[in-house]
Amino acid sequence: MALAALGLLVLGVVLAEPASRGFSKARWTRRDPVGALLVWQAIGLAGGLSLVGCGVVYGLSPLGDSLPAAVGTLVREWNEGRWPARFDAVHLIAALASVGVGARLLWVLGTMYVRTLRARRRHRDLLDVLATPWPDSPGTRVLDHPQPVAYCLPGRSSRLVVSAGVLEALEPEEVWAVLAHERSHLRERHDLVVLPFVAWGATAPFVRGMECAQVAVAELIEMRADDVAACKSEPHELVGALKTVGGSAPAAALSSFTDALEARIERISSHPRPLPWAARIGVRVCAVALVAVPTVLLLL
Amino acid sequence: MEVLWAATGELTAREVQESLADRELATTTVLTVLGRLERKQLVVRTRDGRAHHYRPTASREDHVAELMNDALDGAPDRGAALARFLGSIPSEERRKLRDLLD
Repeated sequence: MALAALGLLVLGVVLAEPASRGFSKARWTRRDPVGALLVWQAIGLAGGLSLVGCGVVYGLSPLGDSLPAAVGTLVREWNEGRWPARFDAVHLIAALASVGVGARLLWVLGTMYVRTLRARRRHRDLLDVLATPWPDSPGTRVLDHPQPVAYCLPGRSSRLVVSAGVLEALEPEEVWAVLAHERSHLRERHDLVVLPFVAWGATAPFVRGMECAQVAVAELIEMRADDVAACKSEPHELVGALKTVGGSAPAAALSSFTDALEARIERISSHPRPLPWAARIGVRVCAVALVAVPTVLLLL
Repeated sequence: MEVLWAATGELTAREVQESLADRELATTTVLTVLGRLERKQLVVRTRDGRAHHYRPTASREDHVAELMNDALDGAPDRGAALARFLGSIPSEERRKLRDLLD
């Protein structure tokens, strides 16, 4: 069991730092954003399982040959009113520290979600009073402001918002492309895809790999939404909308923002060939295997 | 809400009802709506003897500005409360953006 603990520790560290950093630089991801997002979810889940699991496995290793057996021994001896003699301070501290890290991660995830829901509810309340429904597209609201912005408020009671500036600056077809992009964020619940990585970033902000992961996942959901929008409208309409809205955003003064925008425009215009189906299946198998390895190490 | 924004000071529920006289709303309806707006922190209620006075917490423009701030500040760490057409901006860059806007 001590060997399994070591394996989990190595796997967790590798996934959290070099693997995340390396994968965030991969180029094939723009040809299969959905597959790449699955791999990111697998990296997050497997990394979390490994880092939290390694301490627990090491801590309980004197009590049995596998984690389920060790937990069984611990419960049995506890019920008989005895403290297992082989369970010394070092092992106890290792187990408690791991459980602590796991609890902290879940706590951050929970509080972050509650805070998000509260911010959204506040925003939605204001919207329902301030924004007027747009008759051309049911479910869309118009906010009376000259600055062009378009966004959506995810959740069970979702809202799609465009500012008057968007309707002013864009052609109707371009507005449809923007709405298709936002609808895909809503339908596929991209907010939930991003959330675990935001929580990881908040739990361990000092790990550079976490930040890379957060940025990469944010880029991938935009690629995915662009793909859906480009299917439902003409790609050049989406490009036109991106140029107009992006060019007038206050963030247009930032080089990273314009770089990201240009990369998106370039990607939509050149329309990279999707990965061959064999590669796409391979990516998904890798994602499943990534989660399976720490699970097996934990249980064996 | 429009009536309260149009008014310069505080209004009672009866005054709100009178301003909306053409819609023939029942007093209870007006009170229900005002109560809902109060719960959503869009209006505050002050008590003066038996009368309740309502006034908006902020002007229409301030609320729109608040919404636009939420929408433009592309912070991914605010829990992805909303998803923007232009995506989110990494944290260190956001600081520069704030400096630019100030």
